[in-house]
Amino acid sequence: MTDPITEARQRAEGLKAAIRSFYDGVMPADLKRKSRLHQVLDKDDYVRWMRLLNDQGWAVGHWPKEYGGQAWSLLERFAFEDQLARLGCPWVIPFGVKYVGPVIYAFGSPEQKARFLPRIATTDDFWAQGYSEPGAGSDLAGLRTEAIREGGHYVVNGQKVWTTYAQWADWLFCLVKTARGEQAQKSISFLLIDMRSPGVTVKPIPTMDGYHHVNEVWLENVRVPAENLVGAEGEGWTYAKYLLKNERTAGAIVGMAWHALERLKSLAAEAAPASRDRLGTRIGELELRFMALEVASYQAVESMMRGTEHGAEASLIKLRGTELYQHIAEAAVDTLGLAGVAWDAAALHAAAPPPLGPEDAGGIIKDHLYNRAATIFGGASEIQRNIVAKGVLGL
Amino acid sequence: MNMDLETAAMLRDSAARYAADNYGFLQRHAVLGEATGYSARAWRDYADLGWLALRLPEAHGGLDADPLAVGALMEVVGSRLLMEPVLASAIVGTGLLVKLGSEAQQAALFPGLADGSLRLAFADAEPGDSPCRVRGGRLSGRKISVLHGDVADHLIVSALDGAHGGRRLYLVDPAAGETEITRYRLVDGRGAANLHFAGAPAELLGADAAAVEAALAEVLDEAAAAACAEALGAVRVLVATTCDYLKIRKQFGRAIGTNQALQHRAVDMFLLQEEVAALTLAAQQALCRPAAERARVVSGAKAYICNAARHVANEAVQMHGGLGVTEELDVSHYFRRLMVNAALFGSRDEHFARFVAAGRNGVAGGMHT
Repeated sequence: MTDPITEARQRAEGLKAAIRSFYDGVMPADLKRKSRLHQVLDKDDYVRWMRLLNDQGWAVGHWPKEYGGQAWSLLERFAFEDQLARLGCPWVIPFGVKYVGPVIYAFGSPEQKARFLPRIATTDDFWAQGYSEPGAGSDLAGLRTEAIREGGHYVVNGQKVWTTYAQWADWLFCLVKTARGEQAQKSISFLLIDMRSPGVTVKPIPTMDGYHHVNEVWLENVRVPAENLVGAEGEGWTYAKYLLKNERTAGAIVGMAWHALERLKSLAAEAAPASRDRLGTRIGELELRFMALEVASYQAVESMMRGTEHGAEASLIKLRGTELYQHIAEAAVDTLGLAGVAWDAAALHAAAPPPLGPEDAGGIIKDHLYNRAATIFGGASEIQRNIVAKGVLGL
Repeated sequence: MNMDLETAAMLRDSAARYAADNYGFLQRHAVLGEATGYSARAWRDYADLGWLALRLPEAHGGLDADPLAVGALMEVVGSRLLMEPVLASAIVGTGLLVKLGSEAQQAALFPGLADGSLRLAFADAEPGDSPCRVRGGRLSGRKISVLHGDVADHLIVSALDGAHGGRRLYLVDPAAGETEITRYRLVDGRGAANLHFAGAPAELLGADAAAVEAALAEVLDEAAAAACAEALGAVRVLVATTCDYLKIRKQFGRAIGTNQALQHRAVDMFLLQEEVAALTLAAQQALCRPAAERARVVSGAKAYICNAARHVANEAVQMHGGLGVTEELDVSHYFRRLMVNAALFGSRDEHFARFVAAGRNGVAGGMHT
């Protein structure tokens, strides 16, 4: 009998090879270029990208076969994201295929599965995530958005924040309070909200990279059919935890760090001779940290597959990956020198060449600015360390 | 030159009062929308307040201010993120003109500098290895990343003297023709330009090559020290803002600042702020010391402050959570200003290399405060 890990490794290698030939042969040149230069991708670009992946069977490759997936192992999922990011591909928008899709197939009704899953796979529906609120960032128990049952509907009132791409979304999966006074975690439910419902308002939150990633979503007397509740009332916390478990295998950060490091090395090769020694040492240190991240990540994924994990694996990948990525981005901006501060947000939208430096200088700056948030969203670094301290070290 | 702490303190207080009343976050937001990237009204106010005459000699109605006074003003510039060309024009440009200008040049330009009707920019950095050159009074070549070069009425340009070799400085009127200006904004919203000279009329500034080199080194050190003071102003705001936020932001039923891990990080930010303040003062004092010692202290200060300011800015963003990366909160604006500051007037690596080189030559520096 073949060891399942050995088999998964072989399949992951095969997948990575398939992705590389997809990139060379199928990936449209304009998407490659925009992505390589870190230019702004619009909704059409992302939808086109997600559909290209789906055409290869990859957008939902991690789903069970009965829902159209390929039942990828954790290792294949991880390698998939890693390989795409190493090639500098666009972000695989996770809200549908990675986050809400698995919650629906694991806990949804047959009607919900039939209605939503096919349209998630094809990105016919664009999804957004309604978790954070102004008073509930890291602490989801502080949620205040209420959904009050009135006959066949829930009436939802509240405000969500940091909702990525809500401006494009057809649907919002949302954590809401369906009971008052109860223990916080027993009062939260998981509700699917049609963004075209009356009472839904999206307000952009401009970020310092000059781009519109995130939004406030205001919900005022929004009537949501009761059939859009996933699973049972008061079980939203359980589903959210299941979703987070699915989020654990974030291979993209490894690939992103690799890609950024390669670019840093090519920038350094063109730098002034006087600064090359110092830069060489700095890059060497970053490469060493990358190697530690890479081997620890892949071993962590295999531990999860064997069921021998200690529980800190996901935090390790997120902490080390995002912190390393930020340090690589800083080194790239430093290496650009004066071109590393010459930048106008408007130029990135116009796809105009930057005023100074290589073609991707503006993109490198944008990436540096926006990725200050990488250690904040998806479980801030402080929260990741709390998880390890409490859950693993017993402190 | 005597260092006058009292005058500096008075200037700091009055400048801080002006900026508090006239340059709040929303007022500054309107300035960011201006085509020039700065406020013409504020610039006139600075002239009325005497800020633009700080570096001018008393004989010309100036204040002949010492580095402490200049630093006091720059600290306020950093604390409110003022967008006007104070550093580029009133300190660097004016400083070069004071040290090198002929009587006629000074008489022609000083009044306009004092009343704000003239703005200077200093063009030094070049894109490649073909330096700017002047032949027969005509300048050719390219300059990049000229701070406020987008609005300057006169440029001071470093270039090779085509007749004698060697680096000299030249005054160029960008409106006199043969100067192509590519205007853009820096990451923090301040204006800048790339310049392409194709035989632009250029007037020599400073007759003696050795005097030019000495004056240039002095003024660039003044600029680096001023950038340190500007960073100090910004760092102080970030440390205070972050400590306030740690006290008011509640998660898991208590203020996040009750977490020891965050308290310790806030303490480290504060310690960095104090080091930035001490090094800024040392750099200001070193401006009056012999060249080698000045280089050691000023470059050491700028190198250390680049790193310290980056750490403080990163931590301020991180501890504000998602808010920290938004346009709507001032934290991200300080982050970007400090990012630009670190690259201008000598990068961290350039100043570090100069600090090490000065140390190798036996200069200790920094101990005599």
